[in-house]
Amino acid sequence: MLKKILHIVAFLFFILVTYFAMQACGFKVEALQKGIKDGLFFLTEMFPPNWTDFKSMVDPALETLALAILGTILGSLVSFIIALFAASNVSNKWVNLFVRSFISIERSIPELFILLILIAAYGLGALSAILALMIGCIGMLGKLFADAIEETPTSLIESMKASGASKIQIIYYGILPDVFPKLISYALFRLEINIRLSVMLGAIGAGGIGFELDYAFSMLLYNRALSSLIMVLILVIGIEQLSAYIRKRLSIHQI
Amino acid sequence: MIKAVHLTKQLPNGKLLLNDISFEVSKGEFLGILGPSGAGKTLTLKSLIGLLDLTKGEVWIEESNNEHINIFNTKAKVLKKLRTKIALIFQGYHLVQRATALDNVLMGRLGSISTFRSLIFGFNEVEKKAAMSSLEKVNMQHLAQAKVASLSGGEKQRVAIARALFQEPNLLLADEPISSLDPKNAKIIMGILKELSTLFPVIGVFHQPELCAKYCSRIIAIKDGKKVYDGPPVLEESLLEFIYGEELAIVIPEKYSN
Repeated sequence: MLKKILHIVAFLFFILVTYFAMQACGFKVEALQKGIKDGLFFLTEMFPPNWTDFKSMVDPALETLALAILGTILGSLVSFIIALFAASNVSNKWVNLFVRSFISIERSIPELFILLILIAAYGLGALSAILALMIGCIGMLGKLFADAIEETPTSLIESMKASGASKIQIIYYGILPDVFPKLISYALFRLEINIRLSVMLGAIGAGGIGFELDYAFSMLLYNRALSSLIMVLILVIGIEQLSAYIRKRLSIHQI
Repeated sequence: MIKAVHLTKQLPNGKLLLNDISFEVSKGEFLGILGPSGAGKTLTLKSLIGLLDLTKGEVWIEESNNEHINIFNTKAKVLKKLRTKIALIFQGYHLVQRATALDNVLMGRLGSISTFRSLIFGFNEVEKKAAMSSLEKVNMQHLAQAKVASLSGGEKQRVAIARALFQEPNLLLADEPISSLDPKNAKIIMGILKELSTLFPVIGVFHQPELCAKYCSRIIAIKDGKKVYDGPPVLEESLLEFIYGEELAIVIPEKYSN
């Protein structure tokens, strides 16, 4: 009986919270109905997509792709170096505690925030976007890379150390060959995320397909907007599929 | 020759992991270190090469010119040079799985070449040839180009020994080199180690008293961090019972399980 009353109270509480939240942000059901009407009008305006516009979207799409690839490659390299300091079997206890904390903190900073700071420093453009994507990699790849490096058996590292090999030799000959497929696979996974991010960053001003999308919408060129939207979908889904395929092939080579 | 003097390792809480262990091993000896799990066998072996920070103790290793060096009291450069002549093998998990057997053998000499050369040029033909002949000594030349991941346990251990040989060591240390092998391969590996002990001292940690008695030239037993036996490889039943206690049925199952 008590349990049932508790359930009812919880349910009423849930309804109340929802109601007050709607009040607080001015959410009205009538507005929702009106929006559906406007939205449908908007969609009919968009069709049919303009194929000349579509062709002109190829270059911006490639620009976005280049941005994402460059950001991911640079980010992976930086993350790898940082991961070496974060891996307990390569660096010492205090260093990797410090570096691991740094990685965790980085992971909690949104890329948008990083971009805004970079725009303040380097101005609007591709450089800021690439740096934002690169820094954004560190939080995720730094941790995943470090975890992969830590899977190297201690005995392998100790036996190399015991035979007088230097730290760089241990990393290059002992650790890298076994973890390499894993690192590539993680980097590809990050590329999928970076493609989506670079579309978004483009809309803020970094250029590329994101910029085209934003521009077409704000100029009320709805056909053009649809063309760029389709291009974004092709880009995002295409890269996701390609990356998934390569990662699947790579997983065969992992031990 | 290698001489361990008063090896002692104490934890901050006062527990003694190694309690005043001393011994000396010279060329021609194949020393087997026995003892129950957690007795300090592996720690003893690790301290011989300076991989363990001791609370007290010295390890003297003979350099080529009859000079003895204490590895705990020497410059990093001298220690690195000494280590290039000490080979260490483990249970067989210390190989790079995705590299070939030959590449793994070549890794044995990384300490002897500069980091710069190893990254830019790699190993030269002379070294590759020498690595091949190391593989021949353990009868693995036909699998030189095979990836280590595809080899069996016994084959992996033979690659590990080939790597050790390629170092042209003055001393060979083996930490449970046969623990993951079947009886046949274990005997092959023990035979190879025995043969090598004519060239340089071989010190191994083992869990198999019977194989030790058969192949080693001398045995040390460690119990609770203390050396409790040091002598010829003749193991009386009473001694084994003293060393292993309840673990006896595990190390010699065929005799003591009922």
